Amino acid sequence: MTTTTLLQYSHTLGFMANQGRGFNNPVDLAINSRGIVHVLNRAGPEVGVRIAYKRITRCTPDEEYLGEFCTGGTGDGELWWPSALAFDDEDRLYVADEALNRISIYDQDGNYLDKWGAAGTGAGQFNRPSFIAFDRDYNLLVSDSLNHRVQKYTREGRFLSQWGEYGGGNGQFNMPWGLAVDSQGQVYVSDWRNDRIQKFDKNGAFVSAVGNSGREEGEFNRPSGLAVDLQGNIIVADWGNERVQILDNEGRFVASFRGDSRDSLWAQDYFAANPDEASARRAAHLEPEIESRPEYDAHRGYEWERSANVEKLFWGPTSVKVGPDGLVYVVDSLRHRIQIYRQTG
Amino acid sequence: MANNELALMAHLMRRAGFGATRDELDACVSLGYEATVEQLLHPESAPVMDEDLLRRYHIDQNSLMLIESSQAYWLYRIINTRRPLEEKMALFWHGLFATAYGKLNHAKAVVNQTNTFRRCGLGDFRTLLLELSRDPAMIFWLDNKDNHKDAPNENYGRELLELFSMGIGNYTEDDVKACARAFTGWTISNSDYMSIRASRDSIWPHGRLDWQFVYLPEDHDDSDKTFLGHTGPFNGQDVIDIICQQPATGWFVASKLYSFFVSDTPNEEAIQYLSDRFAETEGNILEVMRSLLLSDFFKGEEARLARVKSPTELVAGTARLAGSYQFPEWGIVNLAMDVSFMGQEILNPPTVEGWHTGREWIDTGNLVERVNSAALEMGDLARPGVQAALARVREAGDSLEPTEFVDVCLDALGLYDVTDATRESLVNHAARDGVLQFGERGAADCSDARVAEMLQLIVATREYQLA
Repeated sequence: MTTTTLLQYSHTLGFMANQGRGFNNPVDLAINSRGIVHVLNRAGPEVGVRIAYKRITRCTPDEEYLGEFCTGGTGDGELWWPSALAFDDEDRLYVADEALNRISIYDQDGNYLDKWGAAGTGAGQFNRPSFIAFDRDYNLLVSDSLNHRVQKYTREGRFLSQWGEYGGGNGQFNMPWGLAVDSQGQVYVSDWRNDRIQKFDKNGAFVSAVGNSGREEGEFNRPSGLAVDLQGNIIVADWGNERVQILDNEGRFVASFRGDSRDSLWAQDYFAANPDEASARRAAHLEPEIESRPEYDAHRGYEWERSANVEKLFWGPTSVKVGPDGLVYVVDSLRHRIQIYRQTG
Repeated sequence: MANNELALMAHLMRRAGFGATRDELDACVSLGYEATVEQLLHPESAPVMDEDLLRRYHIDQNSLMLIESSQAYWLYRIINTRRPLEEKMALFWHGLFATAYGKLNHAKAVVNQTNTFRRCGLGDFRTLLLELSRDPAMIFWLDNKDNHKDAPNENYGRELLELFSMGIGNYTEDDVKACARAFTGWTISNSDYMSIRASRDSIWPHGRLDWQFVYLPEDHDDSDKTFLGHTGPFNGQDVIDIICQQPATGWFVASKLYSFFVSDTPNEEAIQYLSDRFAETEGNILEVMRSLLLSDFFKGEEARLARVKSPTELVAGTARLAGSYQFPEWGIVNLAMDVSFMGQEILNPPTVEGWHTGREWIDTGNLVERVNSAALEMGDLARPGVQAALARVREAGDSLEPTEFVDVCLDALGLYDVTDATRESLVNHAARDGVLQFGERGAADCSDARVAEMLQLIVATREYQLA
């Protein structure tokens, strides 16, 4: 079992399924007060039967499938480019959609309740809302990616405030993605195209920024989702580097890891039902050494190619969440699964 | 009236790329024809397209698992590339070395092959054939993973000679057998597992795993072979060396380049010229292409609009003109499906022979698709390219007679070689509503709509269907 300073691989949740038990390009998850994991399946492209593969899957952390709700579409309660999930304190589920530029709300049984938001640049409008998170007062923060700002709303959708503009200076953004709030209410934002993490106080005043572009420790390549654990460590999905990095509460590098996945219970069931495939799989070499080639750097990078070849590695990690039990969930979007880690530090 | 320099540049950019906007044509004319050719021949001098935006918003185009996603990805690249000849060469080699998703169930493997075409497509032909022979998609497509020392499979060896290098009539059946034996042991890793997975498209538990080339010396037949008059313990690389020395290979490549870049009607003298250049430069495709693009037979009037645009050329060219899809938008997959509906399912050609081109691109059904698709893009006044065309018309004056109106619209779209009959039809249509006026607010709005309609009519003409 692979260990890092702070995290130890526990198990994997899910495998690929277009509908029913499994995931299809999951991008985010949220856990309600009863500990039920809700996984948001983005599932492109938006054509034909594939539209129905967009959905929200419910399961437990130990891999019991509980069902699904929602489907693809542009009508009320439907999903087109769903990007993020968050529960409020009454277990209402909020879902952001980057294509429809809106926030949709569902009750704890998955029934559609309401929506708000529209395309635009003004208050109450979005241009591809990429992530949402509730602050300590249960106001909803939205990373409004192509408007290069963070907006704050009441749970009812009333605009409260905003901060940020396009740029590379302190408090400015270039297509922000992930959002997280720590126990003091400080807000962390993955400043995606600036390759850094910015910290703000609960009112949006700039506090600090860490990271710059690169592949070394503490550097980032288009960071996506992030979370803050109970100790204040910042756990970042370093999307373009295909890894997760841990920073301490001062922003200092602690550890990074590339992924450790083994077959989930659902995947094991699949292979048990397909013994010829399981046999060939056992004989296969699934962790090949991938040589670095100049054309990889000219295209999507060596790490992306390595993840395309080595099944256990993260491939396109989009979100990190810390559960109430301290488990760390990494949404491994292109491998259609969640890799789960236990905190050991 | 047609500006000869602009018309020639528009011709160059349609053939060596996917068309150019009027502003781009101006820039090319300022640079000069030969310098523009050099720029096209050296794509490495232009920046690589950033893919991070595409991968972020189109999650399905990040893994490239599905065929529709991968087609949309390539179309987006073609529309937005700053390296038009690189993409055009990739499309050329993709049509020649046709490898289809349908058998592989692995779109990224075919995309990887197109990356090889981008990297090697303007290099020497020998290297390209060698890379192709090591390409996992090709190995899977033509069964070279099943080509064993004790049980040869001739599929790849046969097509390498017939469809990829020399053409039928230039080798014997014994040469095919020797060629196949030379490629024994050239396979992909985990081929048994990958074969099972490729046969089951319904469930892939963790998405696709990429394929890697491996050479298994224990499965290679290293005994003597006689191939095209040469004898020795040949491996695949030796066979490719011998193929590239054959005059038939130069003629084969030259004829394919001629038909793709110059004309649907063969010209033996021109093909011989290109074949000679192939021999003189030891198969250097960049040199052959330079000779082609600078030749009189390419630049001459008879080559203008002498090819039917492929669906990819038509759709991507129109999107470039209209300024569509310059940023990731979900509708790109529908545009890619338009290309398929017109008969060119990129990354999934119908057979190893590729597509039947020329007039076969057009029948009554897909002509309607072609016209509708182009007219839809060009009629959208919100598109930046349509706005740019409109601005050119407005700059021409507040009051335009029908002939002026038509000519300035043709100029705005860089379409100069229309027949008198086509121009007359457009002028007759324009004359129905009289002089185009931009003076008063109401008249201007009406005239904007008339311009959009005229642009739609122009992309519906016979000439616009041609490259």
